[in-house]
Amino acid sequence: MIRPEEAPRPFTVTELANEIRRELRPLTAVLLKGEVTGMKRGAAGHFNFTIQDGLSKLEAVLFADAARRVTTLPEDGQVFVFRGRIDFFGKTGRLSFIVDQVEFDDVGKLRARLEELKRRLEAEGAFAPSRKRKLPYIPKAVALLTSPTGAVIHDLQQTIWDRFPNMSVVVYPVQVQGAAAPASISRALRRCNEESLADVVVIARGGGSFEEMFAFNNEVIARAILASRLPVVTALGHTSDRTVADMVADAECRTPTEAGARVVPKKADLLIQLTERGRRLERERDRRLAREVERLQARRERLLQVLPSLMRTRMERLVRARADLARLSPVQQVARRAEALRERGRRLDAAAAARLARSLSTLTSRRAEERLERALTARFGAATRALDHRRQRLIALSPESVLSRGYSITQDGATGAVLRSASDTAAGRKLRIRLAAGRVGASVDEVEP
Amino acid sequence: MSQELTYEQALEKLDEKLKLLEDGDLSLEDALKAVDEARVYLKICTERLEAAKRKIEVRPEE
Repeated sequence: MIRPEEAPRPFTVTELANEIRRELRPLTAVLLKGEVTGMKRGAAGHFNFTIQDGLSKLEAVLFADAARRVTTLPEDGQVFVFRGRIDFFGKTGRLSFIVDQVEFDDVGKLRARLEELKRRLEAEGAFAPSRKRKLPYIPKAVALLTSPTGAVIHDLQQTIWDRFPNMSVVVYPVQVQGAAAPASISRALRRCNEESLADVVVIARGGGSFEEMFAFNNEVIARAILASRLPVVTALGHTSDRTVADMVADAECRTPTEAGARVVPKKADLLIQLTERGRRLERERDRRLAREVERLQARRERLLQVLPSLMRTRMERLVRARADLARLSPVQQVARRAEALRERGRRLDAAAAARLARSLSTLTSRRAEERLERALTARFGAATRALDHRRQRLIALSPESVLSRGYSITQDGATGAVLRSASDTAAGRKLRIRLAAGRVGASVDEVEP
Repeated sequence: MSQELTYEQALEKLDEKLKLLEDGDLSLEDALKAVDEARVYLKICTERLEAAKRKIEVRPEE
């Protein structure tokens, strides 16, 4: 401290202000515990507030870049442990505590608040498995919300491309730590949903302490994840505590590698599966066709067996049908009936003629018999008498009656001519001589005319 | 047949058709139709696998 008597002249205000600043410089990396009041956000992204302990108060400022780094933003009425330095601003004549880190004063109390948030979300059903969105089987692209620097992004890309070499990755650089992280992540999530470049989101960071991870216990992030249309996968690193973000996420992984495996299937496996299905398909088709060929073959054999008899019966039926047709044809029917009529006519004529003839002959014969009978009856006596008379005359006139009286009849042996004169014959000729009883053959010795 | 099917939907359809074929209750016409459809789904699946173009895009904070 400069004593006034040592000063040859008075300080200007600026000089003194600078002197004060210089004197205050050792007060860096000071830890200050106090309650926050009058929290105000400045236009430049900085925050002004007052830290007090009931007896004293100090003005404090949290500049924009420090605000992005701090674990949590101070809130009115809460007690924090601030790390920072004292500075004096000549322009305003004010002394301020420049905050570069904000620590929770009471982690136990913080955890209690966190549990309260979890209970609230639980009651809303935010953790219910039924609410969780399904991850796409194969995403068209994967959105990565992570710090653009660091191993996380590299690990994730490597895992994704090992599994699925042509998978697209869209990186949304975000702050994964500090007070600015919730807003940064929420904004990026909204953009993911708006832009729809990817259909699954991975929020990743490389783990950390409870305080470092505290951004992911923020209700703002939880709400942003719940509001997302795209499924969200967390990969926040190896920590013992599950964050609220993990609990509301649609899938929760520990490492980026695990998350990569979770969001992207192994393409080689899929190709193997598809090839196998292709083979099954061909096999089933071949089997089905083979069965059909077999069935056809069986039918063909049966057909070949039944064909001859089938043909025969068909032929027979055809022949019958043709005959039926001929028989039933009107022309044929008329002709046949005409013929039948003619036939009947002929038979009638013949029958009539025969009958007539029979009647006639009966009639004729009857009449003749009657006459004969009558004649016979009438004439019998006379006839007998006449017959007798004639018999007598015959006997009397018959040469044979003369023969009985000793005469004979000589006939030429060859001609049978009755010889009446010797000149009717000649010597040597044969003669036949008829006697009353029997005949004699003789030869002519001599002729005496 | 919809080209809008996702890989998973197409795969599901493919499996349905395969199951139908393996159950063997289909008529020949239906079986051949199922084979044709299954082939389309198989093609969709394969295309979906190849469709993605490997790229990385960084979307800086606005």
